[in-house]
Amino acid sequence: MEGIHLNDVHVQFDHPSGITIAVDGVTQQVPPRSFVSIVGPSGCGKSTLLAVIAGLQPATSGSVDINGRRVTGPDRDIGVVFQEDSTLPWRNVRENVEFAMQMAGVSKGERAAKAAAAIELVGLKGFENSYPATLSGGMRQRVALARTLALQPGVVLMDEPFAALDQQTRIFLGAEVRRIWEQTHQTVLFVTHDISEAILLSQQIWVMSYRPGHVIDVIDIDLPDERDASIVSSPRFNELHNRVWTSLQKESMRGFQDVETA
Amino acid sequence: MTTLTKLRQSQFVGAVVLALLASAIWQISSGLSFVIPSPAATAEAFVQNFADPRYLRDVGETAQAVAQAFIIGILLGGAIGLLLGLSAAARTWLEPLLIAFNGVPKIVLYPVLLPVFSLSGSKIVMGVLFALFPVLINVAVGVRGIPPVYWKLGRTVQAGKWQLFVHILLPAIRLPLLTGVRLAISLAVVGVVLAEFFATRFGLGRVVLQAYSHGEYAQMVSTILLLILAAFTVSVLLWRLERRVR
Ligand SMILES: Nc1ncnc2c1ncn2[C@@H]1O[C@H](COP(=O)(O)OP(=O)(O)O)[C@@H](O)[C@H]1O
Ligand SMILES: [Mg+2]
Repeated sequence: MEGIHLNDVHVQFDHPSGITIAVDGVTQQVPPRSFVSIVGPSGCGKSTLLAVIAGLQPATSGSVDINGRRVTGPDRDIGVVFQEDSTLPWRNVRENVEFAMQMAGVSKGERAAKAAAAIELVGLKGFENSYPATLSGGMRQRVALARTLALQPGVVLMDEPFAALDQQTRIFLGAEVRRIWEQTHQTVLFVTHDISEAILLSQQIWVMSYRPGHVIDVIDIDLPDERDASIVSSPRFNELHNRVWTSLQKESMRGFQDVETA
Repeated sequence: MTTLTKLRQSQFVGAVVLALLASAIWQISSGLSFVIPSPAATAEAFVQNFADPRYLRDVGETAQAVAQAFIIGILLGGAIGLLLGLSAAARTWLEPLLIAFNGVPKIVLYPVLLPVFSLSGSKIVMGVLFALFPVLINVAVGVRGIPPVYWKLGRTVQAGKWQLFVHILLPAIRLPLLTGVRLAISLAVVGVVLAEFFATRFGLGRVVLQAYSHGEYAQMVSTILLLILAAFTVSVLLWRLERRVR
């Protein structure tokens, strides 16, 4: 049972005005050491699903197994990169990257060595003593990425980590993530609403529908492993893009109508 | 860097000019009314006071009460502020009560405190009541303002309660906390001295009141100046610390 196994995961939120079904019966697998992306319109339950896998949010029913173990809460072998800026402003880059290791009780020497390696991996060498306030949004997300990678988790979950960044930075950082993954081959589940980003990065894409949230399409990305941004002009990329777009468009139209009639 | 030094220098120059101006006005007005002592007489009283062991005892008494009120005030205010910041239930139950209580002129409680805490205890309690609220409010608002993603991060790395407190909560509220502490020290002085005006055996509040009733205005003003100077110095030091911490 290697990899991530989702078994009929349901999540609903009860609130005074009724019930929101955020995730409605997702049964999927992320094969070990593979890169899978989830795309879907906003509000379709992507973050909720990721939170369940991260052990941050209990499923209403169903279960998640990671490498043969049932998820019951957060686990240090599961790293998470958030969409929001999660760098701690009172710590410099090195101290931020060491944060997770420090909480885990890793010794000072080991922390320093692993932080240095992670900082180099994400391309922040030379910025070890800078504080987040002096860094751009893209660099801060690199810090968050390095903090997650420094613990060398077997599974990395990323929830729209670059959504707040401009298009160019996003493409650039996406390529970096792909390069890092080619080195580490961790099991990655990457959430995005950007179709091109998903195709560029992934081996497989899950398309999620507007409420109630479930996976309506699974698309294998049969592009070569060695790829860079130039692949966006290839005919196969366009076919895949159209396929994802068609699935998504139907769904976002429905979402749009829901909002219009609400 | 140079503009910063310039600014600091101009601030210093401004303060000196202001002090000279105030002394001049003081000197002139002291000539107009006998209840206003001259700056020279006040300075003399100020210096002589420190040779008087009784006066030193009063200074010690007040300083000790202020220190105790300050420490108890920030601990109590910090604890209640944490509770309010972290618990929605505590907010619902306690907030209206605290807002109402903060609106009460606290000195009216003094006669009630006296039989319970005695003379020496009551002024500490009064100092605590004054010092409490700025810490409480700043901590509560600071804690509520911590970005939720910090807590999510803490949970994913499986930080313990103590780790969350030391490595997320305290550093995240460092600025409002320092502001609260800075205000608490001045207000602790206000609370203690105010209490001493009403009833006490020792303390600078009593010295001021006694000097007033004996018509020793130089003594009165020099003691008030001492209180202002002490509160001002500590505030400025904390304020500078506040600006250094980012
Ligand atoms: N803690 C919560 N309480 C109530 N409703 C929530 C909560 N978290 C998410 N939701 C709702 O669940 C749905 C899915 O949200 P989310 O997983 O954040 O979507 P996405 O990440 O795809 O934009 C939304 O309708 C959202 O309003
Ligand atoms: Mg989301």
